[in-house]
Amino acid sequence: MIGEPSLGLAGVVVLLVLLLTGMPIGIALGITGLGGLILTLGLEPALIKSGVLVFETMSRYELGTLPLFMLMAHLCFIAGASGDFFGFASRLFGHRRGGLAIASVAGCAGFGSINGSSLATAATMGLVAVPEMRARGYSDALATGTVAAGGTLGQMIPPSGALIVFGIIAEQSIGTLFTAAIVPGLTQMLSYFLVVALIVGWRPELAPPTPRATWEERIGALRRVADVGLLVLVVIGGIVFGWITASEAAAVGAAGALLICSKRGKLDRASLRRALEETLRTSGLIYLVVIGALIFAAFIAVTGLADAIGNLIVGLGLGPVATMALVAVFLLLIGSVLDGLALMLLTTPILLPLVTGMGLSPIWFGIFLVRAMEIGFIHPPMGMNLYVIQRVVPDVSLGRIFKGVLPFLTADLVHLALLIVFPAIVLALPNWLGR
Amino acid sequence: MERLRNALVWIAGGALLVVVAVDSLAMIGRQIRFPLLGSIEIIEAVVLIAAGGGLIVATLDHAHARVNLLLERLSTTSRERVLRLHALAGALLFAALLAGTAWIAADLWHGHEASELLGIPYRPLRIAAVLTLLVLFVLSLRGALGRRTR
Repeated sequence: MIGEPSLGLAGVVVLLVLLLTGMPIGIALGITGLGGLILTLGLEPALIKSGVLVFETMSRYELGTLPLFMLMAHLCFIAGASGDFFGFASRLFGHRRGGLAIASVAGCAGFGSINGSSLATAATMGLVAVPEMRARGYSDALATGTVAAGGTLGQMIPPSGALIVFGIIAEQSIGTLFTAAIVPGLTQMLSYFLVVALIVGWRPELAPPTPRATWEERIGALRRVADVGLLVLVVIGGIVFGWITASEAAAVGAAGALLICSKRGKLDRASLRRALEETLRTSGLIYLVVIGALIFAAFIAVTGLADAIGNLIVGLGLGPVATMALVAVFLLLIGSVLDGLALMLLTTPILLPLVTGMGLSPIWFGIFLVRAMEIGFIHPPMGMNLYVIQRVVPDVSLGRIFKGVLPFLTADLVHLALLIVFPAIVLALPNWLGR
Repeated sequence: MERLRNALVWIAGGALLVVVAVDSLAMIGRQIRFPLLGSIEIIEAVVLIAAGGGLIVATLDHAHARVNLLLERLSTTSRERVLRLHALAGALLFAALLAGTAWIAADLWHGHEASELLGIPYRPLRIAAVLTLLVLFVLSLRGALGRRTR
């Protein structure tokens, strides 16, 4: 039987081709991994190894976290909470020049704290914020670019679906990953605020001020967001301070969302069914991807490809910063043809041993990888958030949306570079909290 | 088919609600120093039902994530052919996973596996996993050989 790094490399190439043909990501990962395992280990061990992985994944306690956070998000959506964060932020900042764009970013961060998906955040906030900004005379490019970029916060601000998947694949604590994501998420949000401020400082006509909301309106908006905001604080605070595990936080979040739905009179048989169905559909998708990724990772481990690449790169003597800069360029290039999830699942088994071999933290790598994935959501040709926003406003061209997102993309690249040069941005909070 | 799907949504969705209830009670119990013993074992058993239901619903709805870059640029006929090939690959994968899972279940059948604290038997769980993979195999095969795919 063959057990060579070259076979692993051939597997990566086959996987890449299958993914580009549009094969479902989980199936492409699984079939490549299984084929590779059969070649390296033989039929019987390969089947048994895969059978063990399937059962363990389906009954895995930690992976149960994902559907529960999704259920929480769907229930909050049904409760009508999606527009509340933007509503509150726009009443606070809307009267300032560019205030609605800042409110959109804040709204994305708020919605991202109940939703772990970039696409869902961009789509939902796009429906709420873009028409409002356009109606108030904001430039199309600024309005759409702000929400397309802001949507990526959904993936970084905990709870994050991508971080849960990374935690499972890389066998890292999901609670620590969530804690580590907070400072990068907040600094990313602040960098977007800065971009908006610089744009409107340079071209004030792009974002005219709107009438100032009264304090009654602001307090009314705060009341509307209070229950969901409190739920988010309990869920994220509970994880960060170690009061509850990520799985318990997900359960508490879903239970709280059920209560909020019920309190707002939005919970009935049909809405509950809709939330459960959406949750099952999305979590089924993730389960298949995780099963496939684990089989593929087992194959890559058997071939020794990761060690071979690690030795090669360490042999170049570049040092951690230059190596990770190189990895970032590689991820951005691959990310221009693969979607974020595929990128993460293809590269984690190969890059993680390299990263840990250089003495870098796997937690840091998880955040770095998700940050690189986020950039892929707004840069062409994949740039899924751009397409999502274009569906919301079909009369705005993709080119114009990309023009709007370009300053944010620049900020993203600077932010990614800062994460490489200063890993403490990621690791300081979990270290300080002893996670 | 729709009734079956509806039942699946309620069974797997109900399993999710059980996970919500058990994990929340376990958390509250731990905070008030009245721990709910074996909560993780209950969740592991129930989450398997939810995961199986989710996998089937996602497959029924053709909702599995894919990279659409090339697929969107193909003609309808070519796209149809490629999708059939993908479904066939899915059927192959699920058949292999089914074989592996059934193999282990058969090997451990007389071992009377059970969880440590509550003694939850693993046999029904292994049967559920095998049935899930069987349904996924049939659905994928139907997608590959049936009259129409999406």
